[in-house]
Amino acid sequence: MDAKPARLEQAGHARSANLWLEALYNLRHSPSALLGMTIIGGLVIVAIAAPLFATHDPIKTMIGVPGETGRLPSKPPCIPMLGCEDPLHILGLDLNARDLYSRVIYGTRTSLSVGVITISLSIVVGTALGITAGYAGGRVDNVIMRLMDVVLAFPALLLAISIVTILGPGLTNALLGITITFIPQYARLSRASVLSIKEQEFVLAERAIGASPWRIVLAHILPNAITPIIVQGTLGVGTAILDAAALSFLGLGAQPPTPEWGQILSESRNYLFTSPHLVFFPGIAIMVTVLGFNLLGDGMRDALDPRLNRN
Amino acid sequence: MLKFVLRRLTFSIPVIFGIMIVTFSLARAIPGDPCLAVLGERATPEICEAFARRNGLDQPVPVQLLIYMRNFVQGDLGDSLRFHRPVMALLTERLPTTVELGCFALLFAISFGVPIGVLSAYRHKSALDVGTMIGANIGVSMPVFWLGLMLAYLFAVLLKDTPLALPPSGRLTPGANPQPFFELWGWVAEGQKPAGILVFFSRINTLNALLTLNSELLLDALRHLILPAVAVGTIPLAIIARMTRSSVLEVLSQDYVRTARAKGLRERNVVGVHALRNALLPVITVIGLNFGLVISGAVLTETIFSLTGVGRTLVDSITSRDYTLVQGFTVVIAAGFVLINMVVDIMYGYLDPRIRFN
Repeated sequence: MDAKPARLEQAGHARSANLWLEALYNLRHSPSALLGMTIIGGLVIVAIAAPLFATHDPIKTMIGVPGETGRLPSKPPCIPMLGCEDPLHILGLDLNARDLYSRVIYGTRTSLSVGVITISLSIVVGTALGITAGYAGGRVDNVIMRLMDVVLAFPALLLAISIVTILGPGLTNALLGITITFIPQYARLSRASVLSIKEQEFVLAERAIGASPWRIVLAHILPNAITPIIVQGTLGVGTAILDAAALSFLGLGAQPPTPEWGQILSESRNYLFTSPHLVFFPGIAIMVTVLGFNLLGDGMRDALDPRLNRN
Repeated sequence: MLKFVLRRLTFSIPVIFGIMIVTFSLARAIPGDPCLAVLGERATPEICEAFARRNGLDQPVPVQLLIYMRNFVQGDLGDSLRFHRPVMALLTERLPTTVELGCFALLFAISFGVPIGVLSAYRHKSALDVGTMIGANIGVSMPVFWLGLMLAYLFAVLLKDTPLALPPSGRLTPGANPQPFFELWGWVAEGQKPAGILVFFSRINTLNALLTLNSELLLDALRHLILPAVAVGTIPLAIIARMTRSSVLEVLSQDYVRTARAKGLRERNVVGVHALRNALLPVITVIGLNFGLVISGAVLTETIFSLTGVGRTLVDSITSRDYTLVQGFTVVIAAGFVLINMVVDIMYGYLDPRIRFN
């Protein structure tokens, strides 16, 4: 009686192990995934070792510090290798006489963690909701999914703005606001996977031998539903970083003097016409980071989609 | 077809009600007393009581919700607490800015995105194709507000005094006061109050310029629109180009395209008629989904280019706790979003019978 499901399970594991290996192989041969991984890897190193890369304290004002003029250098960026004579501040000082380069470097920490935390939270909540809806069916399904429809009916940034307004401006609340806008995606994805797997014979067999719903969900449904969620999640990190920067830009996210790219941009935007470099560099940092996650997500989608492998 | 439309319609109604309940609760949940926010230090308890009574804030919350829903159905969104004017009037004044910006942004995205996508699919793996895909990847990764600021710097500062210079703010040259078409046409006598719908259309500057045959105004409005529209439209452009490319690529490998070629049709017909028509189906969905992006983009872009549109008003009202305005604007935007998605679905069903009958 026990032998059959055990064998089925083994077969399932063997197949999934192969799939993962195959995916890894594909990933290593996808230029966009490799480029994405390189960018993200580099950024993670910068974020962890920010004190090593930064030349100054990101929140220290350089007024009255010995050897400092406390004025904006006239023509940033000033890079010694390119023959610039004043290597003290590579990207110049911001409007509060803080070292812009160090602020951008430390900003990596904020943006990466916001992106990853937001998406992890929304994957956990969204997947739990989606699996519950799909598995329970009936009224539970209806209530959860209609709620998700309502959340999806709002343009994402607008909803995030409203939520942050209620909770009060700040990075944590911005993070929560963005998380809520992302939940429906994962709920829908996981519910769809559950629905397609729920009625398959191996799940019916498990149920027939009296496996608990928890076991069925954790051992069978989740592993089968996880692939699209991972792909969507990787792409989502980029969007979440963009949204967080947008909220900070509107003054609803990270508050000064926290070094956050959107916040740096927002502080400097009134000086666009005189010191465009203050706006340019944080924007480039956001773009490169988001690009990294988008490239990796695209590569993963191609690598993890078994339908594409057959071609 | 009618049955499909009706089914889709009934599906949207509960969502719109859900939106109303959510925005209503969100607006109530905004911390702080609206009386204090609106009247400031002058607010004594007696004045606040009168204020609450006048604005219906003394009723129990469920009653407030019911009153709100009844009024909404009648097109009455209440009075803005901050502007002391009907929210509907503010909406008819400010929505045109956002609608115009959104339409031009989408127009820009579609008119460049679709041809670029078709070309790069047709020349699969060529330099053009690779370039497009790199460009599209960079395009979707750019923050809208950053792109807007950079465009403003490029066209208003670096290209100043060249024919390419473009204004970095506003909708029209300051001082321009275009005559609304309904006045020119004698529909509304001077001093009379025009209907809201007329005000709405007359405030879409480009449309008003066309209707009044005012080429100067049209040119001025367009010059002011280019930068914000490009900023808002770039992400949708990149998404549309990518979607068009992959969907044309898929269609080009289908049997019926080979058949069309085999029977000796001209290449232009094969691609233009046989392939493109089917390839555009998923593109339409993507265009529909991009409305959300356009609205989010508009919120940020209006702030940068000093446009008094719905997005900027909404963000300002949130900080000043203007309940009624936040509620009214959010409901209208979200309901518009639902309706647009419905129209997209119906179009999709019209173009692809398989969807209609499933």
